[in-house]
Amino acid sequence: MKKQTLKKALTLALAIVMSVSLAACSGGAAAPSASAAPPETQPLKVGILQFAPHPSLDNCYTGIVQGLADAGYVDGDNISIDYQNGNGESETNNLIASNFVTGGYDIIIAIATPSAISAYAAAREAGIPVVFSAVSDPLGAGLAETLEAPNTGATGTSDSLNLEGQMQMIRAFLPDAESIGILYTTSEPNSISHLAAFEDLAPAYGFTVEAVGITDSSEVASGAAALAAKGVDCVNNFTDNNVVNNLSVLLNATDAAGIPVFGSEEEQVRNGCVASETLDYIALGVTTGQMAAGILDGGDVKTMAVSVVSDSKPVYSAANCEKFGITVPEAYANATNLDE
Amino acid sequence: MTIFLGQAETVLREGFIYSLMAMGVFITYKILDFPDLSVDGTFPLGACVTAALINGGINPWLALLLSFLAGSLAGSLTGVLHVRLRITDLLSGILVMTAMWSVNLIITGKSAILQFFNRPTIFTWGVIRLLPDGLYRHRYVVVTFLLALAVKLLLDWFLRTKQGLLLRSAGDNSQYVISLGKDPGTVKILGLALGNGCTALAGSVLAQVGENADVNSGKGMVVMALAAVIMGTSLFRRISFLRSTTMAVLGAVLYKACLQVALQLGLPPHYLKLLMALLLTAALLSQRLSGKKGEKSLA
Repeated sequence: MKKQTLKKALTLALAIVMSVSLAACSGGAAAPSASAAPPETQPLKVGILQFAPHPSLDNCYTGIVQGLADAGYVDGDNISIDYQNGNGESETNNLIASNFVTGGYDIIIAIATPSAISAYAAAREAGIPVVFSAVSDPLGAGLAETLEAPNTGATGTSDSLNLEGQMQMIRAFLPDAESIGILYTTSEPNSISHLAAFEDLAPAYGFTVEAVGITDSSEVASGAAALAAKGVDCVNNFTDNNVVNNLSVLLNATDAAGIPVFGSEEEQVRNGCVASETLDYIALGVTTGQMAAGILDGGDVKTMAVSVVSDSKPVYSAANCEKFGITVPEAYANATNLDE
Repeated sequence: MTIFLGQAETVLREGFIYSLMAMGVFITYKILDFPDLSVDGTFPLGACVTAALINGGINPWLALLLSFLAGSLAGSLTGVLHVRLRITDLLSGILVMTAMWSVNLIITGKSAILQFFNRPTIFTWGVIRLLPDGLYRHRYVVVTFLLALAVKLLLDWFLRTKQGLLLRSAGDNSQYVISLGKDPGTVKILGLALGNGCTALAGSVLAQVGENADVNSGKGMVVMALAAVIMGTSLFRRISFLRSTTMAVLGAVLYKACLQVALQLGLPPHYLKLLMALLLTAALLSQRLSGKKGEKSLA
């Protein structure tokens, strides 16, 4: 008898919680619509969906907020920003994108390719403009028909690595190096295309490329160990989400083997890499924010050209260079030393 | 109010899609008593096969069917590993799930996301266009509801056939199956094929909603499906006129509703998995407290 009552109580409690939540939910939704009667100063709703908590993407977000503010859209003032992180999971990303759409947001800003795809798929029919940031291949992702006139309902900024600049930097920092090791994730299309381009450039600079492909975060350690075992002279990173997220694991293996690692972005240099021809993700974000502001001003998302950013600047860490006995070459004497 | 309705529609749509998988897991977990982890791999298999086929110009409804078959193939592999090679049920599922990771990447041509925007899908092609305008706007809910209903009715019919009886017996009382001159192992393989076929079907429909397939979309699916099945069967057990398959469908919708309510109430997304674990635990507890843990729900 006691078990029965307990079970009934549990069921009842669950049912009550559900009903109360639904009531609260609908009550909450009703209240704003009642107060929506005076339409003059309703702040525009901006949804920002970031794919994963990842320093480069975080920098993008900072830039976006700044870019919007520069163009006159300040959070809490004339816009209200709903910033959500998808934690690297497609289900969560899709759910957040879907909520932005059903919430009737005025614009959705998506950071990184998977979020951009989720946002675009959800927002297309409702006609909500999508501005993406840090998407390396918008054409391949189906987000734009052409870079000059996307014509889809999405536009934004594309980050393209300065691979040649990176290779020149490696040659300058390590004049005697012969091989560059690359750790990449096989299911990230950006990494595949970057690797191919890198391999094409290598012979001109007297390098051979040794690549080790992995499939997920649990394989970073063994992949890094495999690279170290190949006896490469240095390792280079691309914008591989999986590798960059697990940089410390890679560095563990390479530091132990005395192999310097060149990063793709300055955060990686701060976290242990020796140097990088870094893209400025904050600047990328600022451009994105300004484009979003342009659309909120009334611009047409279908004709706003995708902005491809590939300007890079060299940065290094004197302390990390010293660890590997690398002297900063004269050509890079004016590069930023991140230790200062 | 419109926001609430919009979200209710999303919950229903997602619930009906995942109910397809819940019904599949109902067969393997509740009827066959087989904890099948391969659904983590067969769910994205359905999505990837669909994306590849639709990009190749295949009719979306045919792609749906072929995804079901692909899932069935994967499920029967799990069955063969367990029945013929005598690998434990848990490990058979894990082996197939692991293999599917590579298979899915091969199907998508190594990319993690394969999109098929602007291609015909089951929501934009054919008879759907004949819907009156009012219904057409809600076509996602309409189509997913009809699919869930169709699969549910087909399963109910199947479970009442002789083959279905064998299936129900294979999990409960394999001696009975042997006494009928049939091999319980073959029946188990069939059940796993059916269960994973339904899972792949769910993956296919989800891909067609978003017009893209994600190889990572399977992560945590087995937990979700189990939660839906267990919540459904334990909460609605008292309502005797409901068949178990219906309970699985309602469980899936309820589960999605819980997640949506939690997000609405301001729960940060990274707590969602914890919430899922809590919901599943609560459902399991309520099932056990009723003292009916050992009883199988027979339609």
